Amino acid sequence: MLNREEVLKIAKLARLTLTEEEIGFYQKQLTRVLGHIQDLNQVPTGTTAFVQHIPSDAEPFRKDDAEPFPSPLDLMKNAPSVENNSFLLPTIVEHS
Amino acid sequence: MSTIEKYESVIGLEIHAQLLTVSKMFCRCPNRFGSLPNTQICPICTAQPGALPVINKKAVELGVRAAIALNCQTHLESIFARKNYYYPDLPKGYQITQYEQPFCTKGEVFVRFKNGDEKRIGITRIHFEEDAGKSNHESYGTLVNLNRSGVPLIEIVSEPDMRTAHEAGQYLRTIRGILRYADICDGNMEEGNFRCDANISVRLKGTEKFGTRVELKNINSFRFVEKAIEYEVQRQVLAVEDGEKIIQQTRSWNSAKNITEVMREKENAHDYRYFPEPDLPSLVISVEWLDKIRAEMPELPKQAAERFKKSFELSDYDAAVLTSSKEMAQYFEKVVAESKNGKSSANWVMNELLGRLNAVGKEIESSPVTAGQLSELIVKIDSGQISGKIAKTVFEEMFATGKDASSIITEKGFVQISDPAALENAIRKVIESHPSQTAEYRAGKIKLLGFFVGQVMKETQGQANPALLNELVKKLLDQ
Repeated sequence: MLNREEVLKIAKLARLTLTEEEIGFYQKQLTRVLGHIQDLNQVPTGTTAFVQHIPSDAEPFRKDDAEPFPSPLDLMKNAPSVENNSFLLPTIVEHS
Repeated sequence: MSTIEKYESVIGLEIHAQLLTVSKMFCRCPNRFGSLPNTQICPICTAQPGALPVINKKAVELGVRAAIALNCQTHLESIFARKNYYYPDLPKGYQITQYEQPFCTKGEVFVRFKNGDEKRIGITRIHFEEDAGKSNHESYGTLVNLNRSGVPLIEIVSEPDMRTAHEAGQYLRTIRGILRYADICDGNMEEGNFRCDANISVRLKGTEKFGTRVELKNINSFRFVEKAIEYEVQRQVLAVEDGEKIIQQTRSWNSAKNITEVMREKENAHDYRYFPEPDLPSLVISVEWLDKIRAEMPELPKQAAERFKKSFELSDYDAAVLTSSKEMAQYFEKVVAESKNGKSSANWVMNELLGRLNAVGKEIESSPVTAGQLSELIVKIDSGQISGKIAKTVFEEMFATGKDASSIITEKGFVQISDPAALENAIRKVIESHPSQTAEYRAGKIKLLGFFVGQVMKETQGQANPALLNELVKKLLDQ
């Protein structure tokens, strides 16, 4: 079982604040996720190249030519808030 | 020995250099600085579902070029990795970088100092990665601009070989010079296309074990590099002396307050959950391709310096200064090509031009005196049209106004007096007005010759042809 400190460390890396209730919830949930990974570890992968799923005859490079995407503004349509042509977010404060 | 002298600092630098490609690392968005926010974005660099990266071939070539320039080993096969962390300017939630198998390791660079010393700094590795977007923190919130997201970078990691802030500064300047010379990176710290983080620790001199290191970020100008490192070293020494434990953390340079401040506790590598990037194949560089990149390498500062030394008979130091940037070398070569006088061209560029440029805080690219104008001035000296002394006055005027030497010489009537009759008149006048010195000279005190030459120079406002003047003064005194 993941301990409380480990959950809090992960929450901190994810910039999340958890309630007491959530800490207990994630202790259980993350432990189950890790258990699943343990199961996957049984698959023998020693001799398998990590990129085996990419066809070997695929052209791995592209030429360095620029072509601007025609509708960059469309990419901002999902943003909850836009200001000055920029994605507007709540103020980010770095925590030490 | 003062407290600080009992300690030595151990410094390693991580340099991020944006590559001079036309498009981004994994998509076709333009790689250009200064455009309107979010006008150079596409589904790939904004992490839209299903978008896939494809490697920019030119970026790989420029990286390999850097590997060759920094005497590194280039690996024919390397892999990309995902570095996972959350930040709003990183839309995918991970950065594509190289971790376990970078394309390049084990290099070195030699850093030269003013006193002629040279020091070897080891390069641990160079790897490819993509840049993140840019966050601007405003009072009402944070504005994120993704134009920079996906711009190709190389990260150059040095060995912890530097022992002083000055060494670190010189190393950084050397790397910048090489990258700019080989057209790999613009090297502009203010625009952020060349950035540097420093890993700094301190230890008592004579001890082997490294102290706990602090990563210093946000050193965004050449002026700050040495200052920031010096401050951090001092802070650590004082803390250790006070019996404090140095905490492994990331600190940021605050250029307004001239101090370093805590940014965050340093994440450990495992906090980033690196794993091989499943969307990209291994980066395979064929031997033929590597050979081709090697064959097409532009000239590097060291090679240019050797060439200058040989062709123009310059000293090591002169050659190093004149090849400290590509622009400098090009300027000098243009001056020499027209003036046909290597030594004199080197002197004029280094002593007169650089001195003045430094004084007004300008780079050679924006020199008010062009290479063509400077060579014209040198030709005028060499042909005896003006004296070296007058030339300095003319040069001052050229630097201030941007005018050609010839128009200044005409305007101010600065032509060298090479007419023997005119000079003889002036000399006779001086001899007549200094009877006692004349007598002494004629009685054998021949070192007074210089006195007479000086007086005539004064009389002619420095316009006398020095060689002719010497000859005539001697002739008239000896009569």
